[in-house]
Amino acid sequence: MDLRIDHVRKEYPRGVLANDDISITVAAGEVYGLLGHNGAGKTTLVRQVAGAIRPTSGTIRIGDGDPVADPGFARRVCSVQPQAQVPLMGVTPRQAISLVARMRGASRAEAAGATQTLMEALDITEWADTPGERLSGGVRRLAAYGLAAVRPGRVVILDEPSNDVDPVRRRLLWQHVRALADAGAAVVLVTHNLTEVEGILDRLSVLAHGRVVVDGTVAELRAEAGPPVRLEIAVTPGREEPSPPPPFRSPPPRRERHRLVYRLDTGDSATAAEWAARLQAAGAISEFTLSPVRVEDIYLALEEEHDVVAS
Amino acid sequence: MSWLRSYALLVRWNALRLRFLLPLFALVSTGLSVGIIVGFAYLMPTVDTTSAAFLATGGPTLGLITVGLVMAPNMVAQSKLQGSFEFDQTLPVPPMASVAAGLTIWIVGALPSLVLSVLVAAFRFDLDLQVHGLLVPAALLVALTATALGYGMAHALPAAAVGLVAQLIVFVTLMFSPVNFPADRLPGWLQAIHVVLPFQYMAQVIRETLTPAAGGISVTPYAVLAAWCVVGLAATYRLMTRRG
Repeated sequence: MDLRIDHVRKEYPRGVLANDDISITVAAGEVYGLLGHNGAGKTTLVRQVAGAIRPTSGTIRIGDGDPVADPGFARRVCSVQPQAQVPLMGVTPRQAISLVARMRGASRAEAAGATQTLMEALDITEWADTPGERLSGGVRRLAAYGLAAVRPGRVVILDEPSNDVDPVRRRLLWQHVRALADAGAAVVLVTHNLTEVEGILDRLSVLAHGRVVVDGTVAELRAEAGPPVRLEIAVTPGREEPSPPPPFRSPPPRRERHRLVYRLDTGDSATAAEWAARLQAAGAISEFTLSPVRVEDIYLALEEEHDVVAS
Repeated sequence: MSWLRSYALLVRWNALRLRFLLPLFALVSTGLSVGIIVGFAYLMPTVDTTSAAFLATGGPTLGLITVGLVMAPNMVAQSKLQGSFEFDQTLPVPPMASVAAGLTIWIVGALPSLVLSVLVAAFRFDLDLQVHGLLVPAALLVALTATALGYGMAHALPAAAVGLVAQLIVFVTLMFSPVNFPADRLPGWLQAIHVVLPFQYMAQVIRETLTPAAGGISVTPYAVLAAWCVVGLAATYRLMTRRG
């Protein structure tokens, strides 16, 4: 069941414009990434899909249903992991996840089985029977993911599901999110963890100040984003910034303290690797990496560009 | 999924979340009811039969009011601040099943204070309490009305203000409502206000089912309470399903 958002605009009282003419489609079987700065309007958008708030104008459709007109329909077809922690005071992950599975129609036995399988997939069985108030933030977040994923609706909305989660379990989480889509759900994933999720995303949008500033598949974004290879070097503290060979001078590198990121054409990779290896041997840089350009680089470039436009 | 199945699962969900706090709430409301029965008697040099009947039945009534109009709305406000209310709103269950499940838990939590404080009152004042068959329905109606109004209040007010207003309500019902004493001890204007408010009727239905009333059981209090109950439920439904 596809999710179609058409020209959605959400204006709060006092003229705060949270969403400004947003149109996106998430097909069944897709993981759709929703990226953007804090306050870009991502959470407002997904809460409208879940039927929790009403758009000022525009339409939202899930299959043939209208989650805005019929919040009961929205609750039946969407499973949601909200951005805020779900308090599990006194409730263990096993109890919470299996109860929600039963509310979504599973029999007692089905719910117990699905809960166990899910907790194993996320590697949290160790805390399956620990009450919520004694769980670490990361495990509580994974349990909240479990509430949305145990018997998923046709649309699954995950609002920053990986916050507080350790790196090993974040990988398990992303694998599970991918599997939800592969099983037929339309997954909307709000996240800031770009480098980790780019492998599981089918499409993505970047929102800025309530508007979609870019959308497409990861490959399309890469293709539009200019030189496809990135060279990152870490200048040794106290040493001068090296002067790159001519092909790397434009566009200028992005700087993060003593790290420089150059964008290159594929054909320049060998030259780049040689240059960086020489610098490292001479001690001018402490390390380097040569890799395909990351979604995060594209995103950061977009944000910079947008900030320039906005200011 | 059927309404009843949703309701049953939500009762379990709420009971799990409140299983540590609910016994505490029951204990505190029992302490309050018993405290009124024992403590208020100290304020009076002599406790005549009328005063004894009012204190003995007013204490249990205030226990029910405290659970419904103080503890329940405070927990609703807390669930809004902590995010569990937002999450519950995404569950595939009818909103009224969710309200009904919450009310059920609070009513169960309110009943121990009623039973215990009535027993203490009978012992303290050496009263000959006569339990009428309508006591259980009357107590359920009082608890339900108080909690429905508490829910309505919790959804109508900003979460941070709920605690304050709830305290004000319990203070007013304790000191300025004809719950623990007959209405004719109040000034006329306050009596007039209480004709509309539910508190004196809550006290009356409990009193009349515990102490033999001269005029039998009055019907008016049940009608007024039922009306307030409907107002509370309607406001709760309307406010909790409103969308920004």
